[in-house]
Amino acid sequence: MAIIGSVLPVNVQSLRPPLDLAPSREMIAPKGPAIPAPSGGQFGEIFEKMVSGVEQSQARAGEVTRSVLLGDNPNLHQSVIAMQEASLSFSLMVEVRNKVVEGYQELMRMPV
Amino acid sequence: MELLTGIAATGGALNSQRTRLDIIAQNIANARTTRGPDGGPYQRRIVSFESELLRSTDSANGAKSPGLATVRVSGVTTDPTPGQRVNDPGHPDADAQGMVTLPNVNLAFEMVDLITASRAYEANLNVAKNSRQMALKTLEIGK
Repeated sequence: MAIIGSVLPVNVQSLRPPLDLAPSREMIAPKGPAIPAPSGGQFGEIFEKMVSGVEQSQARAGEVTRSVLLGDNPNLHQSVIAMQEASLSFSLMVEVRNKVVEGYQELMRMPV
Repeated sequence: MELLTGIAATGGALNSQRTRLDIIAQNIANARTTRGPDGGPYQRRIVSFESELLRSTDSANGAKSPGLATVRVSGVTTDPTPGQRVNDPGHPDADAQGMVTLPNVNLAFEMVDLITASRAYEANLNVAKNSRQMALKTLEIGK
């Protein structure tokens, strides 16, 4: 996860041509108010948090399922719901990862 | 990460309906039990529910989710109506007049309760299924 977060900015930097682009950037810059920088830290950090969240929900699902199978918990639905939650958060994570990789590949294909 | 909102309320309802099914099973199983731990015939049990507020989850952007109310079993009470008395002098639990008091369980009522409880459980299962499908469909936006 940290790989994508750290590799991406580096390659974008290296893609930038050495000539001064300041005037043209001013021309294409939107006239609206400046977009504030995100306060949540690096994308890598956020994604790492998300992965650990997914891991936690999977561990919780495993725990509940084990307690149902061992007979400590008679509520079968709790185990199934926990598994569904884990599977959904995993799907969301995969979706985010796919989007990031897609964006990266799109950038790499860009002719400079 | 709260992906399946409202599933906690459904989970509580599933718990409660399952308890109700258990109690109905107990009533049906003891429909002819003439001696309990207290010496008397079995008395029918009734499950009652009460709503319970879930703690509201404060998300990062300060927006409060509506305080959902789930359901829990408030108690299991005993039906005090007297049971049917039949004449059976040979029964070990017969009194001096040869009368035996049967439990106040009416199998027809119990079967109706069984069907309502099982349908209510099914309805809540459908809510859970639907909220999962909604989340999956939402994920398909990005595809």
